[in-house]
This record gives sequence, structure tokens and C-alpha cells, in this order.
Amino acid sequence: MTEHSEKQGIEPAAVKPRNRFSEGKVAVIVFIIFALLPIFITGYPIYILPQYMLFGVLAMSLALLWGFVGILSFGQAAFFAVGAYTMGLAMQTNFGVNSGYIGILISPLVGGALAAITGYFLFNAGVKATYFVLITLALSIMIEQIAVSQSDITGGWNGMYIDRMSLTFGSLGEISLYNDIPVYYAILPVVIAMYAFVRWLAISRFGKVLIGIRENEDRMTALGFNISVYKTGAFALSGAVACLAGALYGAHANFVAPSLGGVLFSTEVVVWVAIAGRSSLLAALLGGIIVASLSNYLSTVTPDYWQLVLGIIFILVIVFLKGGVAGAISDLSKHLQSKIK
Amino acid sequence: MSSLLRTEGLTKRFAGLIANEAIDFELDTSSIRCVIGPNGAGKTTFISMISGHLEPNEGCIFYKDQDITKLNVVKRARIGIARKFQTPTIFDELTAYDNIELGVLGTDCPYKNRKNNINDVLELVHLTNERNKPVKFLSHGQRQWLEIGLLLAVKAELLLLDEPTAGMTVEETESTANLIKHLTQEFQLSVIIIEHDINFIRDLDAPVTVLHLGRVLMEGSFEQVSANEKVREIYLGHGNS
Repeated sequence: MTEHSEKQGIEPAAVKPRNRFSEGKVAVIVFIIFALLPIFITGYPIYILPQYMLFGVLAMSLALLWGFVGILSFGQAAFFAVGAYTMGLAMQTNFGVNSGYIGILISPLVGGALAAITGYFLFNAGVKATYFVLITLALSIMIEQIAVSQSDITGGWNGMYIDRMSLTFGSLGEISLYNDIPVYYAILPVVIAMYAFVRWLAISRFGKVLIGIRENEDRMTALGFNISVYKTGAFALSGAVACLAGALYGAHANFVAPSLGGVLFSTEVVVWVAIAGRSSLLAALLGGIIVASLSNYLSTVTPDYWQLVLGIIFILVIVFLKGGVAGAISDLSKHLQSKIK
Repeated sequence: MSSLLRTEGLTKRFAGLIANEAIDFELDTSSIRCVIGPNGAGKTTFISMISGHLEPNEGCIFYKDQDITKLNVVKRARIGIARKFQTPTIFDELTAYDNIELGVLGTDCPYKNRKNNINDVLELVHLTNERNKPVKFLSHGQRQWLEIGLLLAVKAELLLLDEPTAGMTVEETESTANLIKHLTQEFQLSVIIIEHDINFIRDLDAPVTVLHLGRVLMEGSFEQVSANEKVREIYLGHGNS
């Protein structure tokens, strides 16, 4: 078992055509299932699922960094919370147009800029992976503290109420998103679009260069790639995606509190991605959804021990499946394919 | 008109130890130069200053008549100076094809020509049949070629090859010499090679610069160098084949 996991190493899944197509197909099936789900299930699961999908997008934003560039961020929740607060502040302001739209437009810019500025200084200074983890950890703490201390704007410990936005189409009318089904079908396409966009980037020139940086920084530098520019770009993108997901989350949950940006939640995101497998964006997306759902379920079954159960699963995955569940599945399918040949 | 690369008084010191001292060096376009010398002669230091991995304490480097002494590694790579490291520095987990693709992505090659360029490079370095193998499974010689392929993929004009034939069989060494000669003749590339393998240097049939204790001991043809008493004493006499 250990030998098996050693061999697998870091999965270069995103650059192998065969895997690329299979992940695309699985993604289509998964999204069709999500699209049909409200027909079969009603009530609380359909209410809560959009939030978990946005957790999935948050996990995906980490996978883009961790899986592709090989840099781990403990600050993803910070961007998520910044997104939610941005949305909240936008909804409180009268722009003359739909404030929700403004929030959705601004939040990725805010997240992208915050990440780009942080990344620019860190990566230009040649900060190594370990220190980057520490600094992103600090970023999480800072955002949480700012949210607590600036209570005039953020509501402090009490959090901030965020009104549910509506979809307006000018003179064509309006769709209220107060009910579970409309908001489900409003958020799902955005989640799909974000996945498609990040996946497209990942298999484009940009994504390939990121993989090159993950595999061998010295070589990429000696080939003439300015790696700090690419790393900053990846971090900015990851921050933008996390922030947009956070904005939608805030609009859906109608509430944001400082802990959403804190270290605990940031750590949870890392756990999701580690369990699911960081080399696949789809795995991270599903990991966010499934592990968050599982946590929710476990916390009702065994309120005292659910975190322990999750912790044990995490340790088992780290010890036995280096590439996470997705890595194991990909290895298994390769193994079966070679058996068939 | 003038030379492709020129160094003037290039000096590098490491905390009192003089690795390179006042090296004046000149290389023409589409030519090969072998740099030899016993261990510690300062060969890799010299290459590292040309590639931008080390900053000289004194002296200047001119490339195409431009002073590039202050340019960093990335900028030097962009203007066509690319380096092969002593131990193959490639993307182990990726396939040969994906490796070369990363090189091609470093150029302004349009998307539609990418595939052809990659395949051309793979063919040049005899790796067409290995294109879909992760390169960690390639032989040592093939890995060396792959790294040379990467330099070709980024369209480097000056190749700095640090011991390119280390770990190669006799046949592989021979075909490497042929490949390098081919590159200089067909593509007008220039190559600086650090080597220990005397047969390889003889095969290349190129001018040789001998470094000793960080200084240029002599320059000349392989015959002149190997006939020189001093060189024999410090280098060839030390049991190298």
C-alpha cells in the first residue's frame, strides 16, 4: 500500500490528454445530476446544497494553487469571507442598479487585487512554499481580526446580515431568489461556469506553465519564464474565484460572521482538498461539497465526535493515498486499463 | 561582424577563494568551444556567470555586443542564452512531449505550429519513440538529450552544456557529438561545452579552452592542447581517459 502511494507521487493529471477527457466527461455527468437533483429531492438538502457547491468552488480555488503550482494556501477562507463582506456592503449601498450584480462584479476584483498585491511582494521576494503557508495563515487571522474590530462596517462579532439578491432584467422583469429552487438554479450555472473557466485556464498555456513551475522551478527560470509573475497570477486568480464564491455564499446564507475568514475554516478547506485530491479541479469541487455535507451530517449524528471522525479520515487519506481519493481512482483505472490490454 | 559572446576580466570570488580570475573569452556565431580543466578549475562557475546564475565580482559579459552583465537568468534566457545543468534538470513527472512543449511555450510560437515544433525537436534529440513516457523512466543519456531538446525548444542561440555526455554509452556520446555539430552547422547555434570525456572532445573537433585554478591556461585546437606539456601535466596526466 505504501509502495503504491509512493509511486503515484504528484499526479500530472491535467496534462495527459486521456485524463483530461475523462475528467471532462465525469464533470458533465456530475453537473447533469446536480441539475436534476431538485426533481427528486426537496427541502433542506436543496436549500443547503448551493452553499456546499460554493464551498466546492472555494476548494477548487485552492486546488488551482496547490495542485497546479504546488503552493499551499491557508488563506482561502480569508478571500471567501472578503467576498461575503463585499457582497454585504454592496447590498447595503444604493448604486441605482441591482446591488447584487455590483457585488458579484466587484468581489472577484477585490479578491484578485488582494491576492495579487500579497502575491506580488511574496513571490518577487522569492518566498518559499513553507513561508508562504505561514503568511497566508496570517492573512486569514488578519481578515478575521479586521472583521471583528471594524464593527461599524462589518458588524463585529455579531456578523453582517446580507439581503438575498434578486435577478433583474431591466424592463423584462425580475426573478426573486427567495425560494430554494430559483436560487439553486441561479447558483448552479455560476458554479459550472467557474469550473469551466478554471479548467480551461488549467489546460491552456497558463496552466501548463504552472505545472512546469510545480515540477521544476529552476528549469522554468532557466527557460526564460518569470515564475513570480505566473505564481502571482495563479494566486490572484485563486483569490478572485474564492472571493466570488464567497460573495454568492453570503448572498445565499444571508449572513457573514468573522469566523468565515478564520484559520479554522481555512484549515477545513485544506482538509477537503487533501481528501479529494489536489491534482483534479473536479475532485476538489466535489470534495468541498461531499466533505462539507458529511461534516454537516456527522455533526447531527454525533455532535461531540464528528471532528474526530473527519480527522481520522484525513489522516488515513494522507497516509495511504498521497493523491487523495481522486488520485487513487485515477491510479486504479490506469491499473485496470493496463490489465485489460 | 564581431563575436557572439565576449567576456572581459571576468572574476568570481567565493569568500576568499578565487573561482574565476580575469577570464577573457570570445566565441563566434555557429561555433563550438570546449572548456576543459581539472575539478575545481572553475568551469561551472564560468558557465554560471554567462547564464546569469552567478554574478561576477568583476568584469563584463557582452552578448551580441550588448553588455548583459547585469541581466538576470530569465532575461538572458529570453535573449537566447540557455543552459544545460550538470545533473539533468528536466520535468521528471511529465512526458517527453510535455517537457518539450514547456520549452516551446517559452517562445512566441503560434498555437498551430506548436505540435510540429515539438515533434521536430523530439526527432532531433532522438526521442520520438519515447514521447509519451514520463521522462523519469528514460535512460540517463536520453535525459541528457531531453534537456538539450529543451534548449532547442526555447530557440536558444547560445547553448551552455555542462557535461552533456555524463552517463552516456560510447554510442550515445558519439551521436551527441554529431548532434552538436549538426546544430551548429544547420541552425547556426553556438555551443560552449564543459567536458571530461577526451574522446568526445576529439569527436567535436573544436577549439578548446583550458582552465586551471580559475584562469585560462591556454586556448587552441585539440591537438595543440593535448600536445602541450603543461596541460598534460595538470589535466591529461591525472588519469583521464
